[in-house]
This record gives sequence, structure tokens and C-alpha cells, in this order.
Amino acid sequence: MKKIGFSLGLAGFTISTAQAATGQASTSAIVMFLVFIAATMVITWWAARRTRTTSDFYTAGGGLSGFQNGLAIAGDYLSAASFLGIAGMVYVSGFDGMIYAIGFLFGWPVVMFLIAERLRNLGRYNFADVTSFRLSQTPMRVLAASASLLIIALYLIAQMVGAGKLIVLLFGIEYTTAVIIVGSLMMIYVAFGGMTATTWVQIIKAVLMLVGATLMTGLVLAAFRWNIDEMLAQAVETHPTGRSILAPGASVSSNPLNALSLGIALAFGTAGLPHILMRFFTVADAKEARKSVIYASSFIGYFYLLTFIIGFGAIALLVKHPEFFNTGPDGSFDMLGGLIGGTNMVAVHLANAVGGDLLLGFLAAVTFATIVAVVAGLALAGAAAISHDLYANVIAKGRATERDQMRISRISTVVLGVLAILLGIIFENQNVAFMVGLAFAIAASANFPVLVLSIAWRGCTTRGATIGGFLGLITATTWVVLSETVWVDVFGFAAPITPFPNPGILSIPLAFVSIWLISTLDNSAQALKERAAFAALTVRSQTGIGASAASQH
Amino acid sequence: MSSPNDVVAAVIDHPAYQELLRKRNRMSLIFFGLTLVIYAGFILTLAFDPELFGRSIGNMTMSIGVLSGVLVAVSAVVLISVFVYISNKVYDPLLADIVRDIK
Repeated sequence: MKKIGFSLGLAGFTISTAQAATGQASTSAIVMFLVFIAATMVITWWAARRTRTTSDFYTAGGGLSGFQNGLAIAGDYLSAASFLGIAGMVYVSGFDGMIYAIGFLFGWPVVMFLIAERLRNLGRYNFADVTSFRLSQTPMRVLAASASLLIIALYLIAQMVGAGKLIVLLFGIEYTTAVIIVGSLMMIYVAFGGMTATTWVQIIKAVLMLVGATLMTGLVLAAFRWNIDEMLAQAVETHPTGRSILAPGASVSSNPLNALSLGIALAFGTAGLPHILMRFFTVADAKEARKSVIYASSFIGYFYLLTFIIGFGAIALLVKHPEFFNTGPDGSFDMLGGLIGGTNMVAVHLANAVGGDLLLGFLAAVTFATIVAVVAGLALAGAAAISHDLYANVIAKGRATERDQMRISRISTVVLGVLAILLGIIFENQNVAFMVGLAFAIAASANFPVLVLSIAWRGCTTRGATIGGFLGLITATTWVVLSETVWVDVFGFAAPITPFPNPGILSIPLAFVSIWLISTLDNSAQALKERAAFAALTVRSQTGIGASAASQH
Repeated sequence: MSSPNDVVAAVIDHPAYQELLRKRNRMSLIFFGLTLVIYAGFILTLAFDPELFGRSIGNMTMSIGVLSGVLVAVSAVVLISVFVYISNKVYDPLLADIVRDIK
């Protein structure tokens, strides 16, 4: 084991490269990583000087262009899990891996057609501003904050654990150290630079990721003389399951209802993810919000197409490199189970295969950047739920001063950072695979129905939205806890209680129907007032009259 | 300059506003419906007729499933782009007219 005794300026961690079996930190990876850290620190320093008010902190002053915001959204959305994870899934099961990506992508038309513009016109810092626009503050904020913090916690754990393990493989540092580095960087970006720093970190990372994936795809396609069909033919020839990688496979046929349920949650979950929705308040108006969605969905769609090529290309190309596999004494290896570092490393090994050490280093650095950036976005959304929803509007009932809110925001960020590090360490050896799916299911079953009905349906009342939203939240969570992924895989019971792991097919309609039913039956004075307020809400949501404007700098 | 409540009331009373609102809501619903049809069509086919998606196209290796996956992904971006184009070209000017009338 070679120690290079290299220390990171900001925290003085000593990083060592482990032997090839686990870590493969190349000098190029470390240099590129340090350049990224240095650049983002300069940005954070610059952003910190511009972050004076809560509006600066949560919306970067509200003056980003649609293009910038589109890139930042793509940055938030394209986590390491969605890049390395989808490439790995395509490598293992071909077509089935594509289903996830397409589901994630279809969240965007839903966001665009149902909520994007109205969201921008009605809110200031986060989507709870919108759900509480004409409904009661306290229940709506408590519901939004509960669902958001749960989603953020699940997402954070999944990112931290996945990130920690990846960094161990990529840079050869210890797991705990990796988790502490990610958590500390995130705290620095968010606590000092707020949304401005987080956005620019996100933009830089998105550009690096798009450039890296484009380069890699080009090199992969060049290996097949730019003929995609040739690539697929070789992939089919190489893969142990042959042609079935081009058709829906085991993950679907074993339970079509589960596939359907997952598909629904993926498509409707995006429109309920707090850290994504929050990005719509960083642009000046509804028109820029629309532009953000075009740019974001184009970048995300383009990126997923590249990922498909990377995944299928990897099937045909990686087997030519036995050095990427744990080989038996006779030199034979298992192409699926034997990949060093597991199937999440498919894209990383492929970078090495087609682009050598330099591309490998680049991809490793980009992966680290991605993890830090996504975690920072989550922390910011969590800080907003605590300081803006729970503190300023529920506890202080709107009487909190600007200074208090900023203080609470920064404290929340640090608390979330420490919590993320601790959870990352606690969950190191737990199965966290279900967490992102559950986060999407909660977003689709609690936040999305309340958001859509409160802005688009006159009849929606506080009572209906509160009960329906909590029902969706509780149903989705309970279902997943009782399903195979938690009840059996985590708790170790013999058999699951729910028939399949994904709750969306039940919890999403349940939330919608109960909001509708309870609102319809609600004839309280409060309900009448809320219905009467719908016309004014619609005027603002459509015309933007009275919407919060960008702050002056 | 009138108070915000007066402006809101004036917008609601503006004859063109209600008309515009109806058309715009209908457009959102049509686009949302198209999204659902495309996406549900894709998910239901893969869930309940996986055979079809496994068939290859002509004498290529490419299967119907892989190609339609790519086309479905592209269609999401195309739908969004058309929606934004119509919003920018048709509805934004009409909305601006209404707001100008009132102020």
C-alpha cells in the first residue's frame, strides 16, 4: 500500500492510495479534484460576499437566467447514482436499465405542464410558499416540511453511503474520511455561499459531467466505427443473456405491477422533490422558469442517451480487459458479478478502457464533484424547510427578523451537514438501495398531489390537503417498510407483507382521492374562504402580477 | 395606481382573461394528456407485452424496445419545447395585453 501523504488544505485530511484492488487514485484524478475544490472555494468566497439576505441565501437573489438554472437543475438531477447507477444497470440488464432513465426524464413534462410557471409566480423560497398561498400556513408548512425533510434524509443517506463507497474505490481513501470530506465541503458551500455558491458548483459540475460523458460516448462509438447497431450486435454476442438485453427482462416480467408502480412514482416524483422545486425561485419570472425546464430536460435527456450508449458499449468493451475483473486461477471471470468495485463502476472502468488514465481521472473527479454538489442542493432545501417553513412561519408566525432567519438557516445547514456525516457512517453497511425509490414515492404521494390540487383546483381546502398529503406520506412509507426491500432485506424477516416494493400505484391515487373527497365534504367557514381565494391565486399564477421579483445587486 | 386587490379584480373582470384562462388550461391538459399517453403506452407495453419490445427491426440488431425507449425520451423534450414555444408566442403577448389594459 502506497501512501502519498497528501493533505487537503481545507481540513488537513491525509489521503492515501490503497492497492489496486480497492483504490486506484491516479495523480490526474487528484489534481483535477484539487482544481475543482480550489475553484469552488473561490466561488464560495465570492458568493458569500453577495449573500446578505434570506432571499440571497435561498434564491441567489432570484436573477439567474433560464439557461444557468437549467444547467443547475440538470446538475441537481444527474446525481452520481443516476449516472453510474444507470450505466451499471444497462450493463447488467440492458433495456431494464433504460426504464429508470426514461421514468426520471418523464418527470419533466409533468413539471412543465402542471406546475413550473405557477410555482414561480406564487412562491418566494420553496414550494411550501405555494401550497400555503391560500391554505392555512401552519398545517401546510408542517406537511411540506415533514415530507421534505424525510425525502432529504433518505436522499442524503443514499448519496452519502453511495458516495463514500465510490470515493473509497476512486481515490483509495477511508470510508469515514470520504464521508467527512463530502459533508464538510457541503457545509462550507451552503453555509457561506447559500444558493449562489450551490448553483455555481452545480453548473460547473453539470458542464464537466456533460463534457466527460460526451467525450466518453464519442470514444465508445469510435470503437464501433460510429455504428450503434454494430455496438448492440457485439453487446448481444458478449452478454451472458444474449438478445434478451434488448427486451424487458426479469425485473419487469417477475412483477409487471411493480414496474408500473415504479414508473408512476418516477414520473410524478420529480414534481415533488423539494431541492428541484426550489430551483424555480432562482429565476426572474415565469418565462425564465419555462426556459429552465427546456434546458434542464434537454441536458438530462441528452445525458441519458449518452448513458445508454455507455452502458451497452461497456458490455461489448469491458470483457476485452480482464484487468477490470476479479479473475480465477485459470484467468476466467464472471462478466457481471466479477467486476472490480461492483457494477456501479462500469462507467469508471470504461473511461479507463477507452480514454486511459486521463479520462479515468477526469471521471473520478467529476463523480466526486457530483456527489458534493447534489448533497449541497439537498442541504439547502433542508435548511429552507427548517428555517423558512418551521421556524419563520410556524414557530415565529411570520414575525422572525431577517437576521434570525439567516442565523437559523446557517445553523440548520451545519446541523444537516453533521447529521449527514453521522447517518453516512451509521448506514455504511446497511442496504440503502430502497431509499431513493422511497424518496421519489413520498414526493409523488405527498408533495405532488397537494401542490397540484392547491394551485389547479378551486375546491381544494386545508383540511383535504393536510389529511390527503399525510395519508400519501404515511402509506408510501409504511408500504416500503413492509416490503421486501426493508422488511426482508434490512430487518431480516422471512417474508414481505406488501406484495411488491413500489407503493406508487396505491399511495398516489389514494392521496389524490382523499384530498378530493375530504375537500368536497369540507364546508367550514375556512373552506369557503379558501375557495373564494382561488380566483386571486389564479390571476397571480397566470399573470405574475404581485409575484416576488429578483432582488437588486 | 390602484391597489393590488383592485388589479386582481380588474383582471378577473377583463373579458379576454377568462377566455385566455380556459384556452391555456386546455393546452396544459392536452400536453399533459399526450405525455401520459406516450409514457403509459411505453410502460404498459413493456410490462404486459415484453415480447413485442424484444423483436428486432428489419435485419438490424436494434430492438423495437430500445428504439422506442430512445424515441420516447426524445418525445419528452420535444413536447416541452412545443409547449414553451406556444406559451411564448401566443399566450405571453395576450397576457401582456390584458395587464396593459388594466394598468
